[in-house]
Amino acid sequence: MLVIKNLKASINNREILKGLNLKINPGEVHAIMGPNGSGKSTLANVLSGKNGYKISGEVKYLGESLNDIPVEERAQKGIFLAFQYPLEIPGVNTNNFLKTSLNTIKKAKGEKEIDTIAFLELVKEKAKELGIDEKILSRQLNVGFSGGEKKKNEILQMKILDPNLIILDETDSGLDIDALKIISDGVNSSRSEKKSFLVITHYQRLLEYIKPDHVHVLSDGKIIKSGTSELALELEKKGYKKLN
Amino acid sequence: MNENFKISPSEINKIKVLNQKDKNFRLESLKLFNQQGFPTRNHEDWKFSDINQIFSKNFKNLESFKNEIKPKSINFIKEFDHNHILMVNGKLENSEFKFEDKNKIKIKSYNDSNFSLNNVENSLINLNNALSNNGLFLEVADNYKFEKAIIIYNVFTDDLKDNLLNNKNKIILGKNSELHIVEYNINQSKNKFIYNTTENVILNENASLKTINLQANQNEGFFYKFSKGKMKSNSNFSSFIFSSGPKFNKIDAEFDLEGENCDCNIKSALFINRDKHQEIKTKINHLVPNCKSYQKIKSVVDAEGKGVYQGKIYVKDIAQKTNAYQLSKALLLSENSEFNSKPELEIYADDVKCSHGSTSGNVDENSIHYLMTRGLSKKQAIQLLVNGFLNEIIGDIKSNSVRKFIENKIEIQIHGY
Repeated sequence: MLVIKNLKASINNREILKGLNLKINPGEVHAIMGPNGSGKSTLANVLSGKNGYKISGEVKYLGESLNDIPVEERAQKGIFLAFQYPLEIPGVNTNNFLKTSLNTIKKAKGEKEIDTIAFLELVKEKAKELGIDEKILSRQLNVGFSGGEKKKNEILQMKILDPNLIILDETDSGLDIDALKIISDGVNSSRSEKKSFLVITHYQRLLEYIKPDHVHVLSDGKIIKSGTSELALELEKKGYKKLN
Repeated sequence: MNENFKISPSEINKIKVLNQKDKNFRLESLKLFNQQGFPTRNHEDWKFSDINQIFSKNFKNLESFKNEIKPKSINFIKEFDHNHILMVNGKLENSEFKFEDKNKIKIKSYNDSNFSLNNVENSLINLNNALSNNGLFLEVADNYKFEKAIIIYNVFTDDLKDNLLNNKNKIILGKNSELHIVEYNINQSKNKFIYNTTENVILNENASLKTINLQANQNEGFFYKFSKGKMKSNSNFSSFIFSSGPKFNKIDAEFDLEGENCDCNIKSALFINRDKHQEIKTKINHLVPNCKSYQKIKSVVDAEGKGVYQGKIYVKDIAQKTNAYQLSKALLLSENSEFNSKPELEIYADDVKCSHGSTSGNVDENSIHYLMTRGLSKKQAIQLLVNGFLNEIIGDIKSNSVRKFIENKIEIQIHGY
C-alpha cells in the first residue's frame, strides 16, 4: 500500500524528517509514536501533499510515486488524513461540503455522482454509527463544534469518502474516554483487508482501542525502533528517553 | 474630460420642465456642476474612487438623453410570488400589484427635480438635480403592510452606449406600514454608460422597509446611487446589497435617524473581479437618543478588482444610548486586488455604545489545504471559502425563496471568477 524510502523533509531550511523508511501492506494498522517535535505531524502533512516542504526520497502509494501528485489528487486516489486540529470553515455547510467532497472523489474515480437523497441517507447512517447529532451537520463546518465533535466529524468524513490509506494524526488528543471509544469503534469497524491505517499518536492509550499490527518509534525525524504492540506498552512504562 | 466636463444649459431644454421654478433650479444646479466637474480624489468622499479619472479613461463623450426603446425579453423571476415594477433605463414602464390592496399604493413616474438636498458639495447630485427626467415615486398608505415583496426590474437596454442617464426615486412609507423591495438590475447593454440615481426614502413612525439591491451580471455599466433616508420614531430600515458584475458601482447611503427607537441596518456582500470597482459609502446620523444602527460589509476582491468601504457613524450630543456598529471584512484573492476601508466614528454624546472594525486579508492557506485533502481542487476550495465568507451576509435574509434566489446568483458569479 505505502512504501516510504529515505524520506527527508525540511521547512524553512530546517530538516524535520531525516531519512524515514516505512512499509505498510494492505490491511495493516501501523502506529507511529514519538515525543513532541519528532516529526510526527510533518510526516502526516507530507503524506497529504501539503505545500511548503522541501522533500527528497521516495513515497510510493499503490506502486505509484506520490512525489509530484498534488493534494487533491492524493485524496481522490484514496489517501485520507484525519487532522489533529480540524479547521473551522465559516459559512460552509457541513453536509454541502461533504457532498461536494464525495462527488469530486467519485467523479475522479469515474464513478457516478451521488444524489442528495442517497447522500443524506448515507450520512444519516454513518452519523448514527458515530453517535453524531445530525443537527451539527447542517451547521457550518466545524464552527462551534466541541473538540470531540470535530474529531468525530473527521472520522465521519473518513467513513463517507471510503479511502484506502488512512492517516490518523493524534486523533485521540483532547478526547474523553467515551468519545475515544466511539471514534476507535468507528475506525475498527472500517478495518478491512483493503484498507491500511497509519495511526500517529503521542500516547499508548489510543492503541488500547485501536490495536496496531506494528508500532514504530519516531525520534528526531527517523524511525529508531519498530516492533509489535508490546513496544507501545514498553514505551508507556519507560518513556521515550530510555530508547535514545 | 480631464478639464472639467461641461454640459451646455441648452440640454435642459430637452427636458419637460414642470414650471419656471423647476427650470431655474435645474439651471442653477447645472451651473454648480459645471463649476465642480466630476469628483476627484481630492474630495474626501471620493478619495478611493476618483470618478473624474475613471470617467475620462472610459468615455470620450457623453450623451445625456436617449430615445426610448423596448428592452429585449426579460427573465422575470418565477421562483417566488411577487408584485412587480418595470423600470427601463430609469423610466417607469409598468407595475402590477396583484397581491395587494391597490388603494393603499400610490405609484407614478417621478420627474420632480426639486429634491431639496443641500448637499451641493456632491457634484453628481447637482448633475442629477439638473438633468434627471425620470424615476419612480412610490408611496404606501398608513397601516398598510404588503403581502408580497415588490421586485423592481431595473432594466438597461442593449442600445445604451456612452449615455449619461440621471434619474430620481422617492419612496415614502406611511405610519405602521411595511414593505419589502428587491431591486433587481438587469443590464442588457454590452457597452459603457453611466447611470446616476438619487433616491429619497422617508420612513414614517413605526414603518418598516426592507430592501435588497442585486447587481449580478457582468457588464460595463457605471452606477452611482445616492440614497438619502429619513427615519421617524420606531421605524425600521434593513438593506442588503449584493453586487457583482458592473464595471463600476458606488452605493452612497446617508440616513438620518430623526425619531427615537429607530433601527437602521445595512449589510453588503460584494464580489469584485476582473478590473471592476465597487464602493459602499455610508453615513448614519444618530440625531436623537435610543437608536440602533448596524453595518456589516463583506467584500471579496479578485484579479485587478478594487473595493472600497467608507462608513461614518455620526452621533449628535443629545443622541444618548445610541448603539452603533460597523464592520468591514475583505478577502483578497490576488496580489493585484485592492481594498480600501475607512471606518469612522464621530461621537458627541457620552453614553453610547459604538464599535467599528475593519480587516482584510488573503484566503487562509491551511483552510485551502484542509479542503484539498478532501479531494477539492484549489479553485473549488477557494470558491467554497469565498461562498462561505459571503454566506454570512446572505444567510441573514429571512425569506427562504428570496435567499435561495440570491445565493444562486452569487454562486454563478463566484464560479465564473
